[in-house]
Amino acid sequence: MNPAEQAVWADVLSQAVTGEMIGAMNYEDLASILHEPEEKNEALDHAEREAAHTRMFLDLARSIGVTVKGDPTAPYWSRIRNSFVHRADARDHTSCFLIQEVMLESFAVASYGRIAATAPASIAATFGAIAAEESQHVGHAVKLLREVRGRDIESFDLKTHAAHGEVMTTLAEMVARNDPKGHCGLCHGSCVKESLPSVGLCTDDLRGAALRQYMQTLDAIGLPGDVTLQWVARLPV
Amino acid sequence: MGGQAARVMLDFALIGHLEDWRAAASVLSVLRGRDLPPLPDEELRSILPWIPPRTVCRVVVRSRTGAEARGVYIDSFIPPDQLESRFLRENLARVRDAATCAMREGAGVATLGGFASILLEGRVEGLHDPTRSTTGNTMTVALIVRGVERALALTRRSLEASSVLIIGATGDVGSGCARYLAPRAKQLLLCARNQSRLTTLRDELDANAIIGTLDELAPRADIVICAASLPSPSLLLGTLPPHAIICDAGYPKNMKWSADASSAHFFGGLGTVSAGFDMTPDLEGILNRHPFRHVAHGCLLEGMTLGLERRFESFSKGRGGITPGRVDEMWAMAQRHGIELAPLHNAHGSIEEALTA
Repeated sequence: MNPAEQAVWADVLSQAVTGEMIGAMNYEDLASILHEPEEKNEALDHAEREAAHTRMFLDLARSIGVTVKGDPTAPYWSRIRNSFVHRADARDHTSCFLIQEVMLESFAVASYGRIAATAPASIAATFGAIAAEESQHVGHAVKLLREVRGRDIESFDLKTHAAHGEVMTTLAEMVARNDPKGHCGLCHGSCVKESLPSVGLCTDDLRGAALRQYMQTLDAIGLPGDVTLQWVARLPV
Repeated sequence: MGGQAARVMLDFALIGHLEDWRAAASVLSVLRGRDLPPLPDEELRSILPWIPPRTVCRVVVRSRTGAEARGVYIDSFIPPDQLESRFLRENLARVRDAATCAMREGAGVATLGGFASILLEGRVEGLHDPTRSTTGNTMTVALIVRGVERALALTRRSLEASSVLIIGATGDVGSGCARYLAPRAKQLLLCARNQSRLTTLRDELDANAIIGTLDELAPRADIVICAASLPSPSLLLGTLPPHAIICDAGYPKNMKWSADASSAHFFGGLGTVSAGFDMTPDLEGILNRHPFRHVAHGCLLEGMTLGLERRFESFSKGRGGITPGRVDEMWAMAQRHGIELAPLHNAHGSIEEALTA
């Protein structure tokens, strides 16, 4: 791996590590507002798995000789975290699940999957294993949220739309071709997106795969495809 | 009547795809809303291939009886520049996902738009719920033969005195046209790539039908029906007699028009809903690119007709199944609801006045 490729992986892993740190914090907050002991334990278990993913990515970074920057206060990620905290403070379990297990996990499953399909074997193995675990979280959310939606469709869809407007807008800005809101605060130098092709990745594919996974997850929960298509069509590019 | 597998929540689903990037841009622009600028072309081409098949708009079709049928238009989001056979596997998966989407919507019957039907070679048995999927080809045949009859009437000619050349004669639509026209036309001239199937079709028809190559048959034709599935317009019929009329019902359009072409031509297989239909959001101007309102391809009109009739069944099952009796049955249903032949036209507009002159 040449230095230019190492620099790209350092930035990619910085995003992944930060995303996993956010995930662990979100699940800890979720555990604190859930009432049933079984649900609480499950959320804590997920928080631990997200922390384990962080360690796996850090181990990977060490093995390929790069330094990563994990920073939940980085501009884009902190906006996502704030959206979650706002819902957790309001004890809005449904929106918390939607943000963490549908939006963030869909994004992770799709982008990790793309990376696993193109990266060298040593890197692909870690991303592939974590993508598989994250997809279980998505599956968990689909089952749960289908039931919740069935109880009050209108309220559920309103909550989803509101969370989408905040979190998916931020994620879309993160994977837009040009940073509309400036530097992400994690890349070591200039934005990594232009350099992704040097390691076989491209922003368009990562964005496309993430949006497809997200729409398919919303389909599985039962939201109308024409409505979610309009939401996605309005995301920033 | 089939289709008891799932609860019916809508009468019909129309499965189609965006014909070109201009249409794709227009649809996405409507979905984004007027307050946002249209997607830049580069972004559109990057995003569209990732959109999973899904409902794009809700459709209400009205019958002249006063009845209504409710349905959806589902787009497979096959990228307009990926219609070639090398994308077959991916495109088939998209059509199947679109059919699954139709069933998830609770559609009583799902009809396959032209290209989707071609992909499945006119067969519906591989779909999620074949008992409720129809190729739409019976209505397409009905509209083609009505168009041929009208073109001849406008030129004061008769079918009985005309030789009809059918290009793509062994396909589902082509063979349906051949069976319908065999007892009515002076002579059928049949042309297709598969010689074995062509011979079988000729032998099946109890009529004056001959088979041959395009070059051999074209000089003898009074009217031509193009019903082939070609990747791009590629037929040049320079050897046609000047009085010949061409009905291009292929998808994509079969004919490549030369500037000096003297033959009259019109798009076949198109009909119009006289009592109208509404789309929400309103995409009619985008999905119907014809110079008249409420015009649609026959395959989609078959879905609307079956929906209005509450006949939730696989009316058109696939290759070789279109008989004159079924065409007449479909046409009678269409007539009941005011679904008519669209005015004869091509990309330049109506040709009816020119034919009359």
